[in-house]
Amino acid sequence: MEETKKFIVPIGPQHPALKEPGHFEFSVEGEIVTGVSIRLGYVHRGIEKGAENRSWVQSLYLFERVCGICSHVHATAFALGVEKLCNVSAPPRAQAIRTLVGELERIHSHMLWLGVAAHEGGFDTLFMYSWRDRETVMDLLEMLCGNRVNYSINLLGGVKFDIDHAQRDAILRGVDFLEERSHHYLKICTTDRTFLGRTRGVGTMTREQADEFGMVGPTGRASGNKRDVRIDAPYASYAEFPVKLVTAEAGDLMARFDVRIRELFESFRLIRLILDNLPQSELTARVPRRVPAGEVVSRVEAPRGELFYYIKSNGSDQPERVKVRTPSLCNWGSVTQTAVGSKLADMPMILSGIDPCFSCNDRLVNIQRGDNSQVWTWEDLRRYGIEYYR
Amino acid sequence: MDTQTALTQAQELLQQWTDSTAQPEAHRLDVKVSRENFKAAITAVKQAKWGYLAAITGLDVPATEEAEGQVEGLYQFCEGAAVLTIRVAAPYSEPYLPSICDLIPVATLYEREFIEMFGVFLEGTPNTERLLLADDWPVGVYPLRKSFTGFDSPDEA
Repeated sequence: MEETKKFIVPIGPQHPALKEPGHFEFSVEGEIVTGVSIRLGYVHRGIEKGAENRSWVQSLYLFERVCGICSHVHATAFALGVEKLCNVSAPPRAQAIRTLVGELERIHSHMLWLGVAAHEGGFDTLFMYSWRDRETVMDLLEMLCGNRVNYSINLLGGVKFDIDHAQRDAILRGVDFLEERSHHYLKICTTDRTFLGRTRGVGTMTREQADEFGMVGPTGRASGNKRDVRIDAPYASYAEFPVKLVTAEAGDLMARFDVRIRELFESFRLIRLILDNLPQSELTARVPRRVPAGEVVSRVEAPRGELFYYIKSNGSDQPERVKVRTPSLCNWGSVTQTAVGSKLADMPMILSGIDPCFSCNDRLVNIQRGDNSQVWTWEDLRRYGIEYYR
Repeated sequence: MDTQTALTQAQELLQQWTDSTAQPEAHRLDVKVSRENFKAAITAVKQAKWGYLAAITGLDVPATEEAEGQVEGLYQFCEGAAVLTIRVAAPYSEPYLPSICDLIPVATLYEREFIEMFGVFLEGTPNTERLLLADDWPVGVYPLRKSFTGFDSPDEA
């Protein structure tokens, strides 16, 4: 008998799905994928290690930079964990503002994904429209905190910014517009025949598989999995402003579009509810510089699913260990399983179907070595930053 | 299943392999097991379909005057709001733990991260290729160990 040889198609590390780096090796038989291996780390920056020699406050800013899309949930998870260690809880108004910004961020993230996934499916008109509309929510976030990304609204013990009447009205107007547009997108994604050709029955994952692989977030919920940290273990003010679970049964790419777009409506509803019932209180509570020794687990629902923080303090002014497990890392496991048996040409869609976020997975310092390279110390970087803006 | 029931159930499941337990927060249960019983404990959790593996957290515990340094693995499972942590440790001199990929196949990415960051060897893990570290990262340097404090200058290492 002839020896069987594997034919391997490398995809990446440049831009396999999103415009972010990851490397995949697909073994194929003809058009059909028979195996996948993953290599990540191209944008790993050592944030977990970096936190171990920075103060708690500096670490908050560091963790906000794990991800450029869902920066707010990272800071929220970290702040909530540290507050728990200090036995302090942020005042109700601060918690409500955290929740509100969290939902605005979810809208921005889901709309960004919608555009990317449409683009991978060859539907660039949908990509352009959804990104145009996404600017609405970006402008709202900029109005609230001055930044389009890395909103930096969290402090240990509360939030920095309040919401006034003019901002409230602007948010409501923006949400009305986005809601109308989202109805349109839902209709397109569930009825456009060409698009359905790329999504219906593609990359299907059953409920059993979703449970077995530990899938999280909208990707898991599209397979009927009922996990949502906002409901299972309410944090910030999700206990006062509960969300309704959004799931679908089909488990294919179309279901993932369906679930994410319907989650937008839940976010719109929640934002209106919070704005109408914003509690009156201070914005911050006092958190000590040295955090009492202990360990906490802090879980929040990022746009992509459960975000898991483990924080250990040794009683000093710096964290002993912070572990971040991002939802994308959970969902990669599922890609390697569903890819087998699919067509190679469907891979970009299947990869983007989980809404992967590479900087989420990658968190290590890469020290450049070699003849012409330069190592910058923290002090050098700080000085450079000061000089640059002088 | 409410949180307390889930935690009680987890405690009963693991009873026979438990060295010690702790309840650091109302919704959390930490169970310490020995390396010999570790695999049996994971099997019990898996067979009872108790939650899902949320994370494998590595923890470096450097040597003190009395005790040898060790790497601790925290296998965190979540069921609703309940978080179960199975804690197992391996000393620096024998940094081996069994892999759990035969029970929970998706653990492979977590295990690859754990191996390269902490220098533990997970016996039986299907893939030991680097996941996150750069290709030219020196062999035997484990960045999340406390003893690693960065490279001194561009010419070294």
